[in-house]
Amino acid sequence: MRSALHAEWTKIRTVSAPLRLLLGGVAATVALSAAAASVATCTSPTCGGDPTRLSLTGVILGQAFVAVLAVQVIAGEYGTGMIRTTLLATPRRTVTLAAKAVTLTGVVTAAGTVAVLGSLLAGRFILPAPSPVDGPALRATVGSILYLTLIALLGLGLATILRDSATSIGTVLGVLYLFPVLAQVIGDPQAQRLLQRAGPMSAGLAVQATTGLDDLPIGPWTGLAVTAGWAAAALFTGGLLLHIRDA
Amino acid sequence: MKPTAIREPAATGIVVAGLRKRYGTTPALDGMSFTVRPGLVTGLVGPNGAGKSTTMRVILGLDAADAGTALVDGRPYRSLRRPLNHLGSLLDAAAPHPGRSGRDHLLWLAHAQGLTARRVDQVIDQVGLTPAARRKAGGYSLGMRQRLGIAAALLGDPPTLMLDEPFNGMDPDGIIWTRRLLRSLAAQGRAVLVSSHLMGEMQDIADHLVVVGRGRAVADAAVTELLAAASGDRVVLRTPAAAHATRILTRAGATVTATGPHTGPDTVTVSGLPAERIVTLLGGNAVPFTEVTAHRATLEDVYLELTRETVEFPTSPQAPR
Repeated sequence: MRSALHAEWTKIRTVSAPLRLLLGGVAATVALSAAAASVATCTSPTCGGDPTRLSLTGVILGQAFVAVLAVQVIAGEYGTGMIRTTLLATPRRTVTLAAKAVTLTGVVTAAGTVAVLGSLLAGRFILPAPSPVDGPALRATVGSILYLTLIALLGLGLATILRDSATSIGTVLGVLYLFPVLAQVIGDPQAQRLLQRAGPMSAGLAVQATTGLDDLPIGPWTGLAVTAGWAAAALFTGGLLLHIRDA
Repeated sequence: MKPTAIREPAATGIVVAGLRKRYGTTPALDGMSFTVRPGLVTGLVGPNGAGKSTTMRVILGLDAADAGTALVDGRPYRSLRRPLNHLGSLLDAAAPHPGRSGRDHLLWLAHAQGLTARRVDQVIDQVGLTPAARRKAGGYSLGMRQRLGIAAALLGDPPTLMLDEPFNGMDPDGIIWTRRLLRSLAAQGRAVLVSSHLMGEMQDIADHLVVVGRGRAVADAAVTELLAAASGDRVVLRTPAAAHATRILTRAGATVTATGPHTGPDTVTVSGLPAERIVTLLGGNAVPFTEVTAHRATLEDVYLELTRETVEFPTSPQAPR
């Protein structure tokens, strides 16, 4: 496992795309967060209730970069045929996938931390009523970083199942953004609530809420657990298929 | 689980036994069996679609066989802890990332095996890729990519090497270089398996040949044996009096045919009599002739002979002999 990890780390640092995607993700997250903070109308001293969540709006965009990076980690290898070389070097396929997952978790956690802290910092400068530094805010911060990591693992799992970059990116973005869109379209409030609880994005981002928790469709940590469930299911299915399918 | 037999002591090389595999309804392997021994270059030859690449993929654990076993050093590839130290391989369809340099490609492979950058530079030097090592692999020519693939195969200093169509896309220099390398690797006592759909490529490098057709080995023998068997005792005779010569030689017990490896006007192929006897007979009967040649088979002939019935898509219904 240590050798497989070393190999995956060497792979990710010797091409330029991963770094560019991570930097792009950080920039997009902070930029959208700052933009959201700028256009927010603050009539009350607390800025409509949840300045922390407002400051973390950019995660919605940043996750797309993370998802694309995660998909490339394995589907990119299927595209060139290099996956065979990978499996020749590490024939125990679950080890291969685990090494990819750990490496991805590491780089996305690092970049996610920069993006989330950058967004909060931007929010502090822009918003007239800065977000407090308290328990709920800490939960939102750590939760957002974890959320990005889970989206990466979801992307890796789906790409292991689908093996094609374009299909995988389409699917992972579809899974992320489809539930909120459907919830908007569907009129029935019961079904709406169900969709918001089931979707990996709408449920997971509940962790960003610091106020009005009772009005949320799902609790902060429970919501993040839903996202984790999606990631685990995708990774497990991907691992199983990788193990039994011909490469 | 059944109790396993006593482990064979240091069984090196590749042993393929009774491999069967279907893709959908198409049988790709149908009882493929052969052995790749140390110290020899074994050629795996056969027409496209005969099962060469599938066999290699099964040996490497990339594809699973429906039945049969493929062992590397006595164990399935997927159970090897440091597989590149056992078997180095070059696959046609395992391209490096175009945006990564050749050296970095070898570097991650080395790291996967617990090897260092020093070993990477050694194999780069060995395959003559040093000037291009830090350039992106996407800009490599086909020949350079093959050299990079061979460097990857050599990385773990394995006792066994397996190369799928290594001469594809190589310029003549590269082909000569690859041949010398493979010969020297075998001379060091390594087992070398090389596949090709061109028999001519095997003439000067292979010691042993496994000819495959329709998913199985149709011949598995030393090159010298195969050549001897294919040459038979055929003699090419050129004479302006073919009809007369045929009568005399047939009476002496020979079989004479108008077709053969060397066809042309006034040319017949005689089998069943040595060349000296033919000359004596024709001279004694005053039959004029311009040429009597003992026919020497090439591997190409052997190959055509063996695979004639097994080619999946023959170019004509009756392939000419």
